[in-house]
Amino acid sequence: MNRESRKKALRHLYQRVVEPLGYKFTPDEEIADFLLEQEVNLEQKHGIPFCPCQGLTKDRDQNMKIVCPCIPFHRKHFDAMKRCWCGLFVHKDVMNPDELQQITLSEIKNG
Amino acid sequence: MGKMFIQVAKRDQLLPGRLKAIEVQGIEIVIGNIAGNIYAVNRRCGHMNAPLERGTLEGYILTCPMHQAQFDMTTGEALSGPVPHSLGNEVPPENLLNYLQHLGNLMSMIKTCDLKTYAVKIEGDAIKIEI
Repeated sequence: MNRESRKKALRHLYQRVVEPLGYKFTPDEEIADFLLEQEVNLEQKHGIPFCPCQGLTKDRDQNMKIVCPCIPFHRKHFDAMKRCWCGLFVHKDVMNPDELQQITLSEIKNG
Repeated sequence: MGKMFIQVAKRDQLLPGRLKAIEVQGIEIVIGNIAGNIYAVNRRCGHMNAPLERGTLEGYILTCPMHQAQFDMTTGEALSGPVPHSLGNEVPPENLLNYLQHLGNLMSMIKTCDLKTYAVKIEGDAIKIEI
């Protein structure tokens, strides 16, 4: 299967999910393409496009919470960062994704 | 006999985003309406022959109802293979579990092939396909 065609298809499918959630693809095209490439790798291995930046466990229920786009399962966390964990998606108002940081959930909870 | 365009449906029988199965001269075909443009592909999934009109059409992406393999409806290109199913938290009897694992192993060896496409022509209200 053609990797570029699959990346294009994932973009098409994800766009319809993240748009109503207030997110968009990161404007950093190089990062977006790299992350989608990793998702295609994971999909070819597992049959499911998991988040490339979160580790799989033996718990299927937990793994299902990191199927991209996983925003609905981590809404408060991602909204606080204005990006998803791997940075494929950012809030619609974000113009410069380099200004956003990965912050762990515990850090957010502890203020 | 050379190829010719044959009427298979009327435009108002296929709303945007919808799929419809047809059979012409023994050939099973699915036609789909993508934003007003009509496309035609082989009815049987390139993975395990499931009837694709029972699947879904999201933009140009056709998803098989059986194992969720995906195809580009405009070109017939296979975009992804089957999605593994889960039994959830229920543990089936050992014999059934062994059988399901056996099926899973067999299924993992089945390649997902591209779909054959057919030329479509619109004449007035008629949808015609080249056979």
